Amino acid sequence: MKTSLMLATAIGLMLPVAAHAEDIVLKFWDNQQTESGLSQYQQEAVKSFEAANPGIKVEVTTIPYPEYQQRLLTAVQGGNAPDVSTVDQIWVAAFAAAGAIDPLDDLAKGAGITADTFFPGAWASANYDGKLWGIPFNVDVWQFSFYNDDLLKAAGVDPASIATFEGLKAAGEKLTGNGKYGIGLFAHKGEDTVVVMDSFIFSNGGKVLNDDGSCGLTSDASVGALAYLQSLAPYAPAGMANAGAGDMRELFLNGSLAIEFWPALEQPTLQKSKLNWDFVNGTAPEGKTPIGTYGGWNLVMYANSPNKEAAWKFIQFLTQEDVNGKVVDLVPANVKAADAFLKANRKGPERIMEQLNNAAPRPLSPRYLEVSDIQVTLAQDVFAGMDPKEAATKACAAIDALN
Amino acid sequence: MGRGGKGSAEGMENRNRWLAWVFLAPAMILVAVLMYYPMIGTAIESLYSTSFINPNPQFVGLKLYRQIFASGDFGQIVRNSVVWTVFVVLLQNVFGFAIALLLNQRLPTSGLMRSLVLLPWILPGVVAAILWRFMYDPQLGLINSFLIRIGLADQGVAWLAESSTAMGAAVIAAVWKGFPFSAVVYLAALQNVDREQIEAAIIDGAGAVRRLFSVVIPSMREVIVINVVLTTILTFNYFDMIWVLTRGGPQNATHIFPTKIYELGFGQFRFGEAAAYGVFSILILAVLIALYFILQRRGQKAARA
Repeated sequence: MKTSLMLATAIGLMLPVAAHAEDIVLKFWDNQQTESGLSQYQQEAVKSFEAANPGIKVEVTTIPYPEYQQRLLTAVQGGNAPDVSTVDQIWVAAFAAAGAIDPLDDLAKGAGITADTFFPGAWASANYDGKLWGIPFNVDVWQFSFYNDDLLKAAGVDPASIATFEGLKAAGEKLTGNGKYGIGLFAHKGEDTVVVMDSFIFSNGGKVLNDDGSCGLTSDASVGALAYLQSLAPYAPAGMANAGAGDMRELFLNGSLAIEFWPALEQPTLQKSKLNWDFVNGTAPEGKTPIGTYGGWNLVMYANSPNKEAAWKFIQFLTQEDVNGKVVDLVPANVKAADAFLKANRKGPERIMEQLNNAAPRPLSPRYLEVSDIQVTLAQDVFAGMDPKEAATKACAAIDALN
Repeated sequence: MGRGGKGSAEGMENRNRWLAWVFLAPAMILVAVLMYYPMIGTAIESLYSTSFINPNPQFVGLKLYRQIFASGDFGQIVRNSVVWTVFVVLLQNVFGFAIALLLNQRLPTSGLMRSLVLLPWILPGVVAAILWRFMYDPQLGLINSFLIRIGLADQGVAWLAESSTAMGAAVIAAVWKGFPFSAVVYLAALQNVDREQIEAAIIDGAGAVRRLFSVVIPSMREVIVINVVLTTILTFNYFDMIWVLTRGGPQNATHIFPTKIYELGFGQFRFGEAAAYGVFSILILAVLIALYFILQRRGQKAARA
């Protein structure tokens, strides 16, 4: 009797512990690119997810953007990856090739998640080697050409003209002089250098990598875009090789730069300024549509996650129309969520939607980080005056040697 | 009794020897774990091809070294490292010595001047580098606006963005950051120069320059040599100044061993190649450290003599 009583008491005492032990703790990592209070919004969304999914607790870790790559890659390399995280579109192929993440084709098919829910370029960025490795989470496009309307008016430049190669160059010529600069080009060691160069290449019909993975930078279209960029150099502030988009922002905000290249995430900064600004969607040769370069993040599920069912539920939750817009600090990747988000938060939402629908992702290569590094050297060579064809040939030799 | 005494002394000596090892052991273990294990690990890793997408190391022998030798980058990094180290060390020591000579004079504000001279050295490396990045800014920087104001330039020069000027600009920033270290060391040495020798030289009619080269510098020789070797080691390993100023650019014009290792290892996750560059770096530093110890011993012998 005494023994039974003790046993019953022990079981009774263990029950709450057992119930607690059943809780799955899902580790989710994301990065923050803007001062948007993202972490707070994500915590609120997590609460509603936890309420709808008893037994799953989500532990959110938000890491500042500059540290994110190193911390995430180190965690993955060390076998300490979270269950779910955002990954930059340009890392997807490397994560897939390393076996760090799981393909999601079957899960997406089972849940009815299809490409048309998301922007085409964003969906393409999650596909590598014939499989789907992530669900698009947030997006943006490099670049929108933000312009200082007062400077353009003073120089007699029609803002619409800067959307063409010819118009942008002519505007640069008119806008440069007397301590003012026309076009905010930059070529420092950073991904912003690469995405802007890519958008000129894409808009001119060129490619960075061909479909077979070989270098596409020596094609006439790619070299033509490089030559065009080189021809814009006289209208840019001196010091391109050590300047980034942030440096151009400083000059744009102090009124000495007429046109700067940024994604839509620049708008909150400009809204706080006293500048009379607006934007056009990138730049292309006359008669062609500007094709921007996709930036953004996909949600992935790690191969070592012990909580894959819960991880997939959470990924679906974060990308659904009514949630996606609340938990991102770029533009939601879900098209319907993006439409509502842009109408509520950005100037020119229709133009941004158009650019998002036209943009293309960067090359889907597991060696992308090295390709990107080679492209930075290419940009610096071109802006230093090297013959564009010769610079592209040098870059292609380096890229093809990676394979 | 005598034999017993000898045995007891031997036992004591043995015990002392053991005790010495016991006391030394924690330090030796710490040094082995914290210094030699990573160094040996780096050498081993350089023989394997490891990257983020190939996380399972594949033994490739000396292939990565051959690749590095064959690439144009290696020669450029060696050249950059030599230029960087030689000029920073030379200028830092010459400037540091000159400032030490000035501070050694009995000037009315010498106390305040000594404190002010130390300022650059007290600043964290990254802060100093950011400060210089602002100063070099082609459009907004102080240096360009000064040059334009006095008529030496008609427009801003992109000091950090031109291959021809970037290394020079980085050297100047590093010298500014590092000269107080040399100045403090030399000031201490100057204050120990034998006054009687200087006075004897004055009586013999030696001028200030002659006294400097015939009395002061010879009596500081050991300190100068050791300071030069120490600053050479520190400069060769100097990472933050160049990384913040240029990230090794433009067109790799300022890439040195530490920045290249960081870029390969933590930027591109090419651990094998980063380790191979690390091994080259360790070998060069080992030679410099050996030189330091040899000179230090010579200095001690000379002092005893």
